[in-house]
Amino acid sequence: MWKEKETIGFHGGFNFLDTYLVKFCNIIEEVSSGSTPEIFKYSIPDREVKYVIVNLCPTESWELPNWAILENKTLSFLDKLGEIRVRYFPKAHFFIAINKKEDRTIAEAMNYASNAEWMKIFALDQKYPQDDPVLLTKVILGTDINFGQDTMDLGILILDAQTVSAIYESCILGNKVNSRLIAISGTGLKENEIINVQLGTSVDKVLHYRTVEAGGYRVFVNGPLRGKEISDLSQKIDWSTNNIVVLKEQDSKVMFPMLKSGELTFTTNTHGELRQCIYCNFCDSICPVDLEPALYYHSYIRGEKHKARLYNLEKCIECGLCSFICPSKLELLRINRECKALGKKL
Amino acid sequence: MKKSLKPLEDILSKNLDRAESFIHAHPKINFLFGSLFEAFDSLIRSTRETAQTQPFIRNNYDVKRFMGAVLVALAFGWVFPSIYFYGWQCVLPKLMVSFIVGVFIVDVSWAIIAREGHISEGGFVSCMFIPAILPPQSPLWLTGLGAALAILFRNILGGVGNNLVNPALFSRLFLTICFPALLVAGYQIPFVGIPDLHALRYGLDTITHATPLTAFKVNGEIPSYFSLFLGTASGSLGETCRLALILSALWLIKIKVANWRIPVSYLGSVFIFSLFFSLILGKAVAPPLFQLLSGGLILGAFFMATDPITATYNQTAKWVFGAGCGFITVLIRDFTTLPEGVMYAILLMNLLATPIQSLAVKMRYRI
Ligand code: SF4
Ligand code: SF4
Repeated sequence: MWKEKETIGFHGGFNFLDTYLVKFCNIIEEVSSGSTPEIFKYSIPDREVKYVIVNLCPTESWELPNWAILENKTLSFLDKLGEIRVRYFPKAHFFIAINKKEDRTIAEAMNYASNAEWMKIFALDQKYPQDDPVLLTKVILGTDINFGQDTMDLGILILDAQTVSAIYESCILGNKVNSRLIAISGTGLKENEIINVQLGTSVDKVLHYRTVEAGGYRVFVNGPLRGKEISDLSQKIDWSTNNIVVLKEQDSKVMFPMLKSGELTFTTNTHGELRQCIYCNFCDSICPVDLEPALYYHSYIRGEKHKARLYNLEKCIECGLCSFICPSKLELLRINRECKALGKKL
Repeated sequence: MKKSLKPLEDILSKNLDRAESFIHAHPKINFLFGSLFEAFDSLIRSTRETAQTQPFIRNNYDVKRFMGAVLVALAFGWVFPSIYFYGWQCVLPKLMVSFIVGVFIVDVSWAIIAREGHISEGGFVSCMFIPAILPPQSPLWLTGLGAALAILFRNILGGVGNNLVNPALFSRLFLTICFPALLVAGYQIPFVGIPDLHALRYGLDTITHATPLTAFKVNGEIPSYFSLFLGTASGSLGETCRLALILSALWLIKIKVANWRIPVSYLGSVFIFSLFFSLILGKAVAPPLFQLLSGGLILGAFFMATDPITATYNQTAKWVFGAGCGFITVLIRDFTTLPEGVMYAILLMNLLATPIQSLAVKMRYRI
């Protein structure tokens, strides 16, 4: 059974893939850790799994693209998935979320799914943050979960492409998996690449020789939107590292920025000064869960942080789009987090 | 071309940097010229700030671009059409006086006195409105006074982001109270036809005392809708060419600077209420289409009521806001001795925006 190429989604969101074009070169380089690499271990959840969602819909341009894993291998990938199902989750329904624009993958998968009762294919918009667990379960299953809640509470398991391959290799074939693919990109690098890194390698070693010599840069693990900034480059790469983004720290002024938007775009620059909120409604029209972030901001600057919780603040999935879009460059996400933290203490 | 300019750019940039650090090193100079330099510098150079908290990339759309878009839309919406209709000698000096008095004198001295860090871009928008809402033949000093009042009023309330009511409309209200005679005189018949040099400079020298709305109040006369739409009927400097205003406003709506809900509900409610009243009262009140196309309604609905700061923030409340504007406009036009009510309607609804907003929020979140 399979669903027609369906386009369902949510209000708001932002298309990063088309705004920030990140091209990776096709050659996949190997980086070894130099010491004994860590081994990937996957523990099959002991609770009952009712639904498995395989997320093949990366929505940030710097994320590991699908082709790195699926290129010409969609069918064998789905075969692997089938074997994992038979072995571990025989009763579960499988949902495969694929980027709407990847026609070939969708066609192949639909073809496969027409003989496979157990899975459904969903073609999703490439809008950030489509792949957030809250929105993924809402769009695909119609179930609401809270932000930060473990999806396993509802029997939903979310996997990405690389984890599926690794589970197959390690649990079914019994091979040792000790490396993973990582996308590295950004204006602080000489080239955007996809590299195969042994687990346990330090970030330092990965970026070695690859960063630009001149000017400062900052390193973000798992992207500048949802990821963390790391200042200590000796941190080790583990299975949760999907990508590393190195951005130029644009902390000097540039002449005529209007004429050369390309030069500034993919840097840490804020592209404007801090101003007062001008009530432009950009933040609430981009919010994927229909909140009104400016309300939190106004509660915050009036010194009434506790009031922010009245406006459904707990629904915020901390995607950061409101801070991203705000023309007054307000730190809305930070404010949301501060107000949320206050709510927990009370 | 681009490469050859690069060294020049570098030199300029370095000198600006040097000037900046010089200004910052001398408190007295900083006190006087700091904000002026900031304003100039921020026009041609990007900012230095980098994102310190998540998310670490930010969109390249800032308040400057936001206000810039409004300025561009206003230029196409009223400046160019009125140069054609009234000649540049009528339009450009007014604009210049408005900018010089409003931004360069009042705003800069306010920044010096109140020790503001920067001069706000919003001033340009307010100053661009001032000539547009005054009669074409009004004296220059009136424009200057209007601009000064608008900026002063806005700054007293705490600058862009805190203004309770639209500063341009507020200053027009002030002028209406202080100089009532000047604001009903000075309407000029627009020039029509293929312009020669004389017309481009002066327009026609025929002065009239009646805008279509006043004429209707006096003797019930209605000009052709076509002339109202294209702007060949008399009116304030910037409100006559409805065609250009609508087109540029649609562009603003498309790039999401203006909100479509307000003009739709404003114009819609003007239409509905005036239809209602003219069905009941017949010829005594203006018919709906004439109401839509006359006076400052199009300019007000698309450019002034949509001013995001003075409208409500909540999207549902915007419908109420627009509908309220429309209702008050029709009431004033139909049942008072005043011919035009757009200014009063928008100002009144600006004041009501805060309670409407908090009511809407309370209803939405059930608190
Ligand atoms: S995006 Fe920023 S300026 Fe616009 S309404 Fe939201 S908080 Fe205010
Ligand atoms: S961070 Fe929260 S409030 Fe802001 S856009 Fe994302 S979900 Fe909405």
